[in-house]
Amino acid sequence: VATRDAVPRQVVDHYENPRNVGSLDRNAKNVGTGLVGAPACGDVMKLQVEVDENGKIVDARFKTFGCGSAIASSSLATEWVKGKTVDEALQIKNTDIAKELCLPPVKLHCSMLAEDAIKAALADYKLKQDPNKEEPEKKA
Amino acid sequence: RLQKEQYYSEQHSSLINKAYQTLLNPLSRGLYLLELNGVEPAQETDCDADSVFLMEIMEINEKLAEPENEAILEEIETLIKVKQEELTKEVTAAFERDDLQEAKKLLAKMKYFANLEDKLKNKKIPS
Repeated sequence: VATRDAVPRQVVDHYENPRNVGSLDRNAKNVGTGLVGAPACGDVMKLQVEVDENGKIVDARFKTFGCGSAIASSSLATEWVKGKTVDEALQIKNTDIAKELCLPPVKLHCSMLAEDAIKAALADYKLKQDPNKEEPEKKA
Repeated sequence: RLQKEQYYSEQHSSLINKAYQTLLNPLSRGLYLLELNGVEPAQETDCDADSVFLMEIMEINEKLAEPENEAILEEIETLIKVKQEELTKEVTAAFERDDLQEAKKLLAKMKYFANLEDKLKNKKIPS
């Protein structure tokens, strides 16, 4: 295997020992569900967060069907959002995810998908808390 | 001079094969047509948020990930084929009325089903 193509150890770790695979009850009021896809490669990613009454994320799950980097990015995302408030979790950047996983340039978009999934889940949660509030158009 | 001719023949043979494979498959054919019409293909950084559609893709993926069951695999295979045929028809119609943006959207959907088709094929190969 050429060193150039070697999968980063961190990615292998998340692939072989993914954390937080699964689902939360999407109908629960304090659960936010983000479902995103990458049209260029056909990867699909679902990320869910459970938020307590203090606005803190107490649990997170993901299900991703796609390449190892996409799985690792979403696995790491669920690890990182736990314990954060909704606003803190919104600060998570794809560049941080990519750096942590040592993603090669060709897989950077996987970390972007994970960031999109986090934002989608949090937007869904927020919408559920106040359905009468006008939400700005979600970025396509 | 013979070497030069051989090289030239190999290049063209390779190109013809590539052209044939591209045109044979509806998805790659459609994407190529988009390219010819100056429409940018879906970028790596694009993000789909069509919940209803993505949910459908998720569910099929989840079924596929379940332990082997001949009946379910056949069911999924049929479903994927039907969807691909439907989408191919819709893409054709979109191109015919020159609705390139719609064609692009539909081709993106076809990509998800193409991936499912590959996963299904891999599942059927005895390990």
